[in-house]
Amino acid sequence: MNYKRFIVYQGTVGMAASMIFPFYILLIKNVGTSYSQFGWAYGIFSLTAALSYPLIGKLTDRAGDKVFLLIYSWGMALILLAFPLAYETWHVYLLQIVMGILGAMQKNTEKTVLARYVMKTTAGKEIGNYHVWTSIGAAAAVIATGYLVDFLTIGSIFYLASFMFAWSGFIMMKMGKTTTLSLEE
Amino acid sequence: MKRFFIVILYALLFGLSLQAFHFKLDHPIAEDISRLMPVKMKAIQAEDNEEAIKRIILEANENDDPISIGGMQHSQGGQTLYPNGILLDMKRYDKVLDLDVKGKRITVQSGATWADLQEYINPYGLALKVSQSQNIFTIGGSLSVNVHGRDIRHHALIETVESFRLLNAKGQVLTVSRKENSELFSSVIGGYGLFGVILDVTLQLTDDELYKIKTKSLHYDEYTSYFKKEVLQNDDVKMHLARISVAPGSYLDEMYVTDYYRANDQAQLSNYDTLKRETIIAVPKFFLGLSRYNDWGKERFWETQETYTANINGNLISRNNAMRSDSAFMDYSNPSKTDVLQEYFVPIDQFADYIDDLRKTLSDEKDFNLLNITIRYVEQNDESMMSYAKEDMFALVMLINQGTDNESKENSGRVIRNMIDVTLNHNGSYYLPYYGYPTKRQLYEAYPRTEDFFQLKKKYDPDNRFMNLFFEEYHP
Repeated sequence: MNYKRFIVYQGTVGMAASMIFPFYILLIKNVGTSYSQFGWAYGIFSLTAALSYPLIGKLTDRAGDKVFLLIYSWGMALILLAFPLAYETWHVYLLQIVMGILGAMQKNTEKTVLARYVMKTTAGKEIGNYHVWTSIGAAAAVIATGYLVDFLTIGSIFYLASFMFAWSGFIMMKMGKTTTLSLEE
Repeated sequence: MKRFFIVILYALLFGLSLQAFHFKLDHPIAEDISRLMPVKMKAIQAEDNEEAIKRIILEANENDDPISIGGMQHSQGGQTLYPNGILLDMKRYDKVLDLDVKGKRITVQSGATWADLQEYINPYGLALKVSQSQNIFTIGGSLSVNVHGRDIRHHALIETVESFRLLNAKGQVLTVSRKENSELFSSVIGGYGLFGVILDVTLQLTDDELYKIKTKSLHYDEYTSYFKKEVLQNDDVKMHLARISVAPGSYLDEMYVTDYYRANDQAQLSNYDTLKRETIIAVPKFFLGLSRYNDWGKERFWETQETYTANINGNLISRNNAMRSDSAFMDYSNPSKTDVLQEYFVPIDQFADYIDDLRKTLSDEKDFNLLNITIRYVEQNDESMMSYAKEDMFALVMLINQGTDNESKENSGRVIRNMIDVTLNHNGSYYLPYYGYPTKRQLYEAYPRTEDFFQLKKKYDPDNRFMNLFFEEYHP
């Protein structure tokens, strides 16, 4: 697996993730609750992430980055299939716990891959370049989704994002069997 | 191999989830604004044309599906809900069909809201005759509950209706007026959606006018004589609204009144006739929130209401603006609590005695969280079979905060039934769009023609095509 592909991968999952996050509040509203519960849903997400970082960090050094990207992609693909079915507040909380763990995997691994790849002297430029492409992907996705919600239901956006995650997982699987990312061409 | 296995597994789960999602969409859960009774409907259907609505009725006839009709769904007694029924959502059926400026008459589809109408007629210098104080409701819904407002010269909405078209259970369209199908005129208006779908309505309008607001504080035992002398007998007063305190220090004693006088200089109307939008609601929302919380909050809420009322004394306002009060500040989304309404009608001469009895009944009810009482006037009118205005009445609208759990419902129910008994003892009546706390006996006592009403329902809709939980609860 090479670095360019990693950027394409990150761009894809970034797009899929930003498709759902801003519109997530609409779903919670459909579930029919209050702002305080919305606060809780995000709080739980961040809290589980915080608690799982130490373990994830340790494991990536041992098992390699790719495994975690794989778990993230497929995990998100599956969890998003459950989202449109949620109708009770505790469903949303439960989903947020799983999303918290998955999100922590993605955030941590994104950084470890970069840390392993970039040269210390040009780290700023390289990470800057990396963010350009992933951010463009995310921006395009958010704007496009804004139009999509006018035509599709919130439910179908979750399905679309799930499909993108599955696709990213599939790409990641195709990238060879090495457990750590080989960063050279 | 492994890859394809995973892809197939994912595809399978994708399909299953989608199917489950479809099932969920096919069985929507609907509820009214009180959130006290979520009901699983078979489907929610909204259409914007007569033919499509007719098709829904005919299809329901074929499948023997019950239909409930909903507008904004602010009725809290299940009037828009029925388990496994079809919820006919009328909000998209909302066009203005005809405006006769000279004849001051408008024909409008029933899903339009008062706000839609006001925006349409305001440029012509016209105004509504009767609507609720808030303008968020649909015309069809308002007709079905036969609303009244703060206008003291026009009373219940039924007075201002010339005719309407009704889509009945057979899928036929009938014109209904005082001359044509008159039996339906008096049963559909105030009929809670049990006779058919109100398609479009022709309403009388009046001129937009400029009013001068005058406010005054008084005690509850002075109110009736004040009202008779200063309000009813003064032809310049067009609208009236009062509040009575629910704060512990002045509980059911202090009142203030807001009267709308026709302004002397009507030429100034053009400076005031821009329709106001809801402005920043943070302040009233905050104080209403405090008053839900405890007695101290109730005192602060009453104080701010008094200050506000004193401040608007002397203000000028157009009729259209007086009929579009703020409502967003009352939106309440606590997951375990909700605000419910009650409205009691009591003959104006009985008012002081009634308040004394009400105070006695409520004196031991520490858990009953009464937030606000507004008072309006409605003149006797028995055009509608289910008329609440059996005499000239004061109408007391109560806002109550309660839990959504069963224990809270039981407690509210008990207190409310007691209050209704007090009301009935004073020859009063109570309003029907609210939660089904009252007993059958109370309904029949408050509405002497209830039995005839249900007879007519049987006559015009023998198969009970139009169903709701209100009917289920109270029919003989």
